[in-house]
Amino acid sequence: MGSILESLGFEFPKFLWQVVNFLILLFILKKLAYKPILNMLDERKKSIEDAINNAETAKTEAEKLRKDYEARLAEAKQEAQDIIAKATKLGEEMKNEIVTKAQNEASKAIQKAQEEITREKDQAIAALRDEVAILAVMAAGKIIGKSITVEDHEKLVKEFVAEVGELKC
Amino acid sequence: MSASAHGGEGGGVHHGPVEPFLNLTIPGTEYQLPIYHFVVTSWVIMFILALTAWLATRNMHRLPKGVQNVWEYIVEGLFGFFGGIMGESRARKYGPFLTTLFLYILLSNYSGLIPGAAMIKGFVPPTSNVSITAALAILVFLSIFYYGIRAKGIGFFKHFFQPMAFLFILNVVEELVRPVSLSLRLYGNVYGEETIISELGKMVPLIVPLPMMLLGVLLGAIQAFVFALLASTYIAGATEEHH
Repeated sequence: MGSILESLGFEFPKFLWQVVNFLILLFILKKLAYKPILNMLDERKKSIEDAINNAETAKTEAEKLRKDYEARLAEAKQEAQDIIAKATKLGEEMKNEIVTKAQNEASKAIQKAQEEITREKDQAIAALRDEVAILAVMAAGKIIGKSITVEDHEKLVKEFVAEVGELKC
Repeated sequence: MSASAHGGEGGGVHHGPVEPFLNLTIPGTEYQLPIYHFVVTSWVIMFILALTAWLATRNMHRLPKGVQNVWEYIVEGLFGFFGGIMGESRARKYGPFLTTLFLYILLSNYSGLIPGAAMIKGFVPPTSNVSITAALAILVFLSIFYYGIRAKGIGFFKHFFQPMAFLFILNVVEELVRPVSLSLRLYGNVYGEETIISELGKMVPLIVPLPMMLLGVLLGAIQAFVFALLASTYIAGATEEHH
């Protein structure tokens, strides 16, 4: 094998030169190229991964928040609806109450007024009767020409009133 | 690449022995350190890779641009490719070695395609020389043992006796043939292509070598790729966890 290589021009000093040169080049490139570049690639990969993870987290977070807000919004809406319904109901009740009360009061007032009127009327009628009876007795006395006693008078009035009282006025 | 510049390298049957680019006398001794032409080219390639890497990573940005983007693309692409073969965690460990192999071989192969490069002294594509491809292949061979033992300890040697103990010899031969095939494949392809381009260039200097050079662009990438791919499968096999 050695003779084949020699016949092709193999020379040991050249071989040695190349080994040394290559090892130097390997050392230099390790220092200047591979190490910094691989570090940079790793760093970049990591930062991209971080960015993706962060975005993912933020997305999940946002989604959670959105759901939360949506739930809260729905809750608030429901609450508002409840409040409105409650208020409406309350208002209706109050209205009814007020109306009923007013109606009651009004009817009471009317009743009272009617009672008053009836009472006044009765009183007036009674007074009128007395007056009319006295006048009538006095007139009758004049016509008869003699006065009648107090007892007669009262008796007459009572009789008269009883008679008149049966009439509808 | 002209044949004469080519012949300047190596002393085999193909090329006559030629002086190195420079003979550096080590101070205080008589010994001379030969700086070959391909070593100069190799240094230029190393310098380009180191410089661009330095520019790319000296001030890194989260959002890559310019040279940083190119280097990130290379590293991410190749490490991803090796990760597909051996898994991401092992690609992290062995990726630097394999990626450096790929980039060095690619630029070596392409250095021969630069027009007029042959005129420049000290410009020889390293991978067109068998000594260089053998060096790369031996590094792969050693890395198989190095990474294998580091990953599995003494258990690494178990695979020599599998599936049957008597296959030990066959397994050893298989292991030994790998660097030979790796180095000869790369050397043969690049040297053959270089030779064709230079011979064609000598016969018809204009236009005719162009398709061959375009083919060279393709072959240069494929050979670099095949070398790194085979190395990665060897290392993946050596470091594989058996369950």
